[in-house]
Amino acid sequence: KLRHHSITTVTLLPDIISTVEFNHTGELLATGDKGGRVVIFQREQESKNQIHRRGEYNVYSTFQSHEPEFDYLKSLEIEEKINKIRWLPQQNAAYFLLSTNDKTVKLWKVSERDKRPEGYNLKDEEGRLRDPATITTLRVPVLRPMDLMVEATPRRVFANAHTYHINSISVNSDYETYMSADDLRINLWNFEITNQSFNIVDIKPANMEELTEVITAAEFHPHHCNTFVYSSSKGTIRLCDMRASALCDRHTKFFEEPEDPSNRSFFSEIISSISDVKFSHSGRYIMTRDYLTVKVWDLNMENRPIETYQVHDYLRSKLCSLYENDCIFDKFECVWNGSDSVIMTGSYNNFFRMFDRNTKRDVTLEASRENSKPRAILKPRKVCVGGKRRKDEISVDSLDFSKKILHTAWHPSENIIAVAATNNLYIFQDKVN
Amino acid sequence: MECALDAQSLISISLRKIHSSRTQRGGIKLHKNLLVSYVLRNARQLYLSERYAELYRRQQQQQQQQQQQQQPPHHQHQHLAYAAPGMPASTADFGPLQLGGGGDAEAREPAARHQLHQLHQLHQLHLQQQLHQHQHPAPRGCAAAAAGAPAGGAGALSELPGCAALQPPHGAPHRGQPLEPLQPGPALPLPLPPPAPAALCLRDPRASAACSAPSAPPGATPPAAAASPPASPAPASSPGFYRGAYPAPSDFGVHCSSQTTVLDLDTHVVTTVENGYLHQDCCASAHCPCCGQGAPGPGPASTTGCKRKYYPGQEEEDEDEEDAGDLGAEPPGGAPFAPCKRARFEDFCPDSSPDASNISNLISIFGSGFSGLVSRQPDSSEQPPPLNGQLCAKQALASLGAWTRAIVAF
Repeated sequence: KLRHHSITTVTLLPDIISTVEFNHTGELLATGDKGGRVVIFQREQESKNQIHRRGEYNVYSTFQSHEPEFDYLKSLEIEEKINKIRWLPQQNAAYFLLSTNDKTVKLWKVSERDKRPEGYNLKDEEGRLRDPATITTLRVPVLRPMDLMVEATPRRVFANAHTYHINSISVNSDYETYMSADDLRINLWNFEITNQSFNIVDIKPANMEELTEVITAAEFHPHHCNTFVYSSSKGTIRLCDMRASALCDRHTKFFEEPEDPSNRSFFSEIISSISDVKFSHSGRYIMTRDYLTVKVWDLNMENRPIETYQVHDYLRSKLCSLYENDCIFDKFECVWNGSDSVIMTGSYNNFFRMFDRNTKRDVTLEASRENSKPRAILKPRKVCVGGKRRKDEISVDSLDFSKKILHTAWHPSENIIAVAATNNLYIFQDKVN
Repeated sequence: MECALDAQSLISISLRKIHSSRTQRGGIKLHKNLLVSYVLRNARQLYLSERYAELYRRQQQQQQQQQQQQQPPHHQHQHLAYAAPGMPASTADFGPLQLGGGGDAEAREPAARHQLHQLHQLHQLHLQQQLHQHQHPAPRGCAAAAAGAPAGGAGALSELPGCAALQPPHGAPHRGQPLEPLQPGPALPLPLPPPAPAALCLRDPRASAACSAPSAPPGATPPAAAASPPASPAPASSPGFYRGAYPAPSDFGVHCSSQTTVLDLDTHVVTTVENGYLHQDCCASAHCPCCGQGAPGPGPASTTGCKRKYYPGQEEEDEDEEDAGDLGAEPPGGAPFAPCKRARFEDFCPDSSPDASNISNLISIFGSGFSGLVSRQPDSSEQPPPLNGQLCAKQALASLGAWTRAIVAF
């Protein structure tokens, strides 16, 4: 159900947030930023004393995942910006996540240390090794509690497999493999093997002059480890089955909606480019985001989406200026809620939108400090497209296009959402009844 | 769709984006530049379609005037239907861009039409100036105005962008007025794979030597013409590529007047031929961007600086026999046309002067196809193995195609 949310936390991060992702239980929330840092938030355990207080998210760990690099051979600087973070399901006490920049994927282990072995008698108080001749007994060290320390260590580095810029990573449901996608290729990796990967999709034409589209996003099916989809800059989605052949250049399904000729413009190609694709939790649907709309597709119907939602159609007449200021190239993401009944995506002016697929109702909310008191109810916003502007409405021309919400995340089972607004991370939770 | 910007502005903005992307951190973003190239293509198609519409209208007027003036219209004027600037099937990849018929396009882009009109007027002025110069000796190369047909008429037709000197659709033989069977030359910037805005950049009539000419390529022509620079794959494929897509000047019964402007993308030499006079390097600034290559008669065009006299009567006979091969030798190249280009580009984007020469290079690169853009992708290791080192540099460059030129240019 769509309800007004109350805010729990607004965190100012040191850099522009470039990705947000809950882990599979929702206990952890990871953010990546332009400076190559990862900040992980952990939800407080609910305490019996404060049953009214839902667990809030606090900073749990911070580490530098990627550094800027320079490719000397090609005279290219490689940005350290974290493009995507994906969690692995938890299999032991430690947490594992994948983070990637344009070129390199890394597997990080995040683990806690709250005990420390003490009582070694091989060293003296200053830590210097004692002369073995003076040691007559061997004391077994004892684990003593210490302040909780969360450490992140890079366990694998998957490098040198992508010529073009990585835009997506996706963990397979087998938990043994994952894929990484760049503009023209998709590679399949095994978590244990870093020096090789399988190339499973390659759309690079023999003659680059014939290039007409690039891969924009890719994701594995949530249950079928042989199935994945990838979207293109031409607004199409291809579903591939890895059992069919080693190189999945030929799709199993091809999803494309015919273009509406009456909407043709200089920028038709740009606004039809898909910026994000996400499987529903059920695996029955895929959702795609292009510049102006969000579409839901049924995997069984390839010729058109089953639902189309207008995110900010009032921008259609502004495409020219949005092209000039580069906003038309912004890549918005989209997310499902846990039950696949609501979808959410971002917009400008720090607005984000939610669409209820069942009731067909939608709401526009704003992530801003001024409007966000700790327990305040978020007020729905409305953009006035023409004519008289009502009191609380905001006109299209007043929108701040520098404030864009590209990245959002939804807790896997609860109504908790994370919204990244430039440097600020907003975490909204449902009001407690 | 309403767009606050006309096609020309969009083109210059797009080019600027592509240029600046080369210096952005993180390397060239392939996706973004691909999208920008689509805008370029769309804008250019619209621009050209409007130019042709304009031209066609003028041609119609011209026709009527001439029929009143001259008795035997010894030229069957073929009124080829103005075709919508759709792409031929061979460009299916890029999809046919249905911009509608010329009329629709005009109706839909009043701003662009206005711009066109302004351009035309400016060009008229320019031509009249040229006519003055022409009447006095010291022909400043491509400054020579059209002889023969009245200046006005010539002007009208000269408006046709040099880059628009396309092959007539369906290879229909030219039936226009005495017209220079000038080949647009291999360099024809226009008929290239869609992201090829070079054509437009050549067209600014305000540039010093912007004597674009409605040269009509002779009927038979195209592929060979494009084939004449041995190398570039893009031009070679393009004329056929665009064949049938646009009405050629010849279809309008273009006057032989004036000039043809041809840009050789391989050698970066721009040549103008007007009334049989082959000019190169005619501009004050050392290189004229608006020179074209002509094959006004039997035999290949001569080398740099050679002028060939040319008789109007000869043209008609010649044009029928002519084929693209007559285009002859490409002008000896290597002369950078950047200086003239700079002037031209600055007309488009006054605030881009520091980058203008780079942009002009970019334009020429771009004219060779998208690969010029992706040449800086960190992917050169995956390109086909370089040619045998024994080949001369120029040949190697030519055969490696646009992307190599891009690397050289930068």
